[in-house]
Amino acid sequence: MKNPSEEKKYMLDISQKEIEELRTTIRATSKKMTAEYIERMRKADKNRPEAMRYFDEIADFEKREKELLAAKESGKKVIGYMCLFAPIELILAADAIPVRVNSGWYDASKLGDRVVPVEVCPMVRSTIGAKMIGLSPYLELSDALISGLTCDGMTKLSEILSDYKPVWAMAVPRLKDSTQSLSFWREEMKTLMKQIEALTGNKITRSKLKSAIELTQRATKAFRRLQEIRKGNPVIMGRDAMLVNQAYMWDDIKRWTEKTEALCEALEERARQKSWACSPDTPRVMVTGTPMIWPDNWKVPSIIEEANPQGLLVADELCSSERLLYDPVGVDEWTMDDMLNAIAERYLMASTCPCFTSEDGNKDRVNWILNKVKEWKVNGVIYYVVRGCMLYAMEYMRVKKVLDRMSVPVYYLDTEYTREDVGPLKTRVEAFLEMLTARVDI
Amino acid sequence: MIMDFIGELLKLTVLAGLTVAGILVILIWKKNLATRVTYLRFLIQVAAMVSVFYLFTYPVWQFIVLIVILLLPLVLGRFFCGWLCPFGLYMDAITLIRKGFKVRYRNLPDKLNKFLHKFRYVLLLFFLVVPFILNVIDPPPAESLTLMALVLAGPFDAWRILLGPVIPLIVPWKGPLEISKIYFSYPYVQEVIYYSKLLSIEVFTTIMAWVFVALTIVGSFFLRRVWCRFCPTGSSIAIVNRFRGFKWAPLLHIYKDEVKCTKCGICKRVCPVQVTDVYEQAGGKITTSMCMLCMRCVEMCPYEDCLKVNFGGKTVFKSRNWLEPAKVE
Repeated sequence: MKNPSEEKKYMLDISQKEIEELRTTIRATSKKMTAEYIERMRKADKNRPEAMRYFDEIADFEKREKELLAAKESGKKVIGYMCLFAPIELILAADAIPVRVNSGWYDASKLGDRVVPVEVCPMVRSTIGAKMIGLSPYLELSDALISGLTCDGMTKLSEILSDYKPVWAMAVPRLKDSTQSLSFWREEMKTLMKQIEALTGNKITRSKLKSAIELTQRATKAFRRLQEIRKGNPVIMGRDAMLVNQAYMWDDIKRWTEKTEALCEALEERARQKSWACSPDTPRVMVTGTPMIWPDNWKVPSIIEEANPQGLLVADELCSSERLLYDPVGVDEWTMDDMLNAIAERYLMASTCPCFTSEDGNKDRVNWILNKVKEWKVNGVIYYVVRGCMLYAMEYMRVKKVLDRMSVPVYYLDTEYTREDVGPLKTRVEAFLEMLTARVDI
Repeated sequence: MIMDFIGELLKLTVLAGLTVAGILVILIWKKNLATRVTYLRFLIQVAAMVSVFYLFTYPVWQFIVLIVILLLPLVLGRFFCGWLCPFGLYMDAITLIRKGFKVRYRNLPDKLNKFLHKFRYVLLLFFLVVPFILNVIDPPPAESLTLMALVLAGPFDAWRILLGPVIPLIVPWKGPLEISKIYFSYPYVQEVIYYSKLLSIEVFTTIMAWVFVALTIVGSFFLRRVWCRFCPTGSSIAIVNRFRGFKWAPLLHIYKDEVKCTKCGICKRVCPVQVTDVYEQAGGKITTSMCMLCMRCVEMCPYEDCLKVNFGGKTVFKSRNWLEPAKVE
């Protein structure tokens, strides 16, 4: 909060005492829960590679918070982003630190109810709630926020958060195939570049941008290596892999790449020794839909992999996991212009966000799912939607139709940011997995 | 006599070298070890240019080269344009220089580019018909027509325009520019001189020639492969691929896997002649006469197996994850 006396246009004013109380309770509960999640993940896989320990540690936000604080002391800027449309390369090239600030806290979404109606997507409500009480260290530490105006929730969220921080909104064209969208998006990218330069005071030069692109390309390489390993027999539980992917959102990218490569080494060794994480006959499940965000929103992957019969998450189409890094920035010529074009195209064209439309629907997303289903030998798809996430919910029928034609079962799992429905969810997922197991046996 | 013999020997050596290079290329492709097609392409282009120079030391070879260029697309599509054409090499070299200067390239608007693509057929028609009109006006001695066809002389002289892009920088015949007994030429310069003479503006012929050279050099500095967009030779090759019934004909073509494509747009951006079909087409065989099979898109596509180059039903080259992940058993 830069200027507390300034009137807030959107947010409620709550007393300092209440803020303190809520923050300590929610942090404590969340800490307990994440510790429990990690403990369960450790138990689920007897020979869990030692390299996963790093990701268990970085999953604790406090560790990274200290690093960010130290970096800020030394004059670095932290730039938060809310959608995948934020060009990480530009942030890195300006010597700033990118962190994703979407919130996964269940309890914070109840606080968001005070500002926006309950019908709104819980992730948006939770982010509002987290900001109200200063819960998320990344949201607190970021000097500016980049918000892609994708869905309605995100659009209004950026308004609400502008009470506290400079928010750079990037208008995402809803049609991506037309040339005018792309040229518009390139302009947005250039505007953002100027804003980043102004905030950090560092000029984004050609060589800096080149090394930033190379850094993310290396991260993509490590990321793809990990997903490639998941194509074969299970050597890593889906939850573990998902945590690795998610850690990219807040971790130092260079370190993340090194640790992921180390993990891949360990996993390949494991594949050679044929020590599987679970039975290779476990039905292979893919999750698609609304992003699931660490720390709290971890119930669905846990339920899938702890259900009886067990399922194995082998792939997903979540913008908080596999969509983060699947597409590299493909630079043809290393000129400033071409690099910017490449970045713009990577974020707009390769994205499979449901906010896009065309005559043929969001075909890229359907193709992505089909490719994952074929290549990762997926037995069933869980279509995960939180209440209020209109875009994903409305695309369900189209995805289902295509998958039905391939006779891949889809299950529509709708839920909320709450712990109360874990029991019923488990029953529903178990029924689905039971059916998948029967199909696998045949 | 001895010089002739050495020349002949050199010619054969180069041709043998080319064959060996070709076999090597196929072998490398089979193992899929080729990391950079672009470099490979440069090598082949240089080799092709050198061999064309030696072939042109005998006028009869010009005719044979022309026949080969015109018949090759039946099997290979416009492979010639992307991989063998010397003019293409000059333009690629200028692109390299531009890259060295870190200057950005420009793009033509897609609509203009597509118009040029249609317009080149008009150009081609013009250049093929004009010689016959001239023939009617001023009939040549009939008895030597066959010989004339063989050496591309007399009424067939104008057909030389199809050989335009193949003209090497140093020519073995009496070329337009002479510096200490070495004749220099440039693609199409002879044709420019020929046609500007016809229009009875002889004074300007040299100027016209230089203007043409300057235009193509400056043009290819800013636009990648600028001449390829309206090259008459390219369009005469493209005719084979253009007609519906012949779409099956080229054995060499690009194939796209619809499901693997995320429409990231890289193929569209890296294409030196701004072909949009690879990006726009949903999947299957890419059939466009604008594509010259330089395979830059296949090389740059970051999705494994998404774009493939098929030769007679066999995949010879495919897009790889150029970030190179580890192999899993």
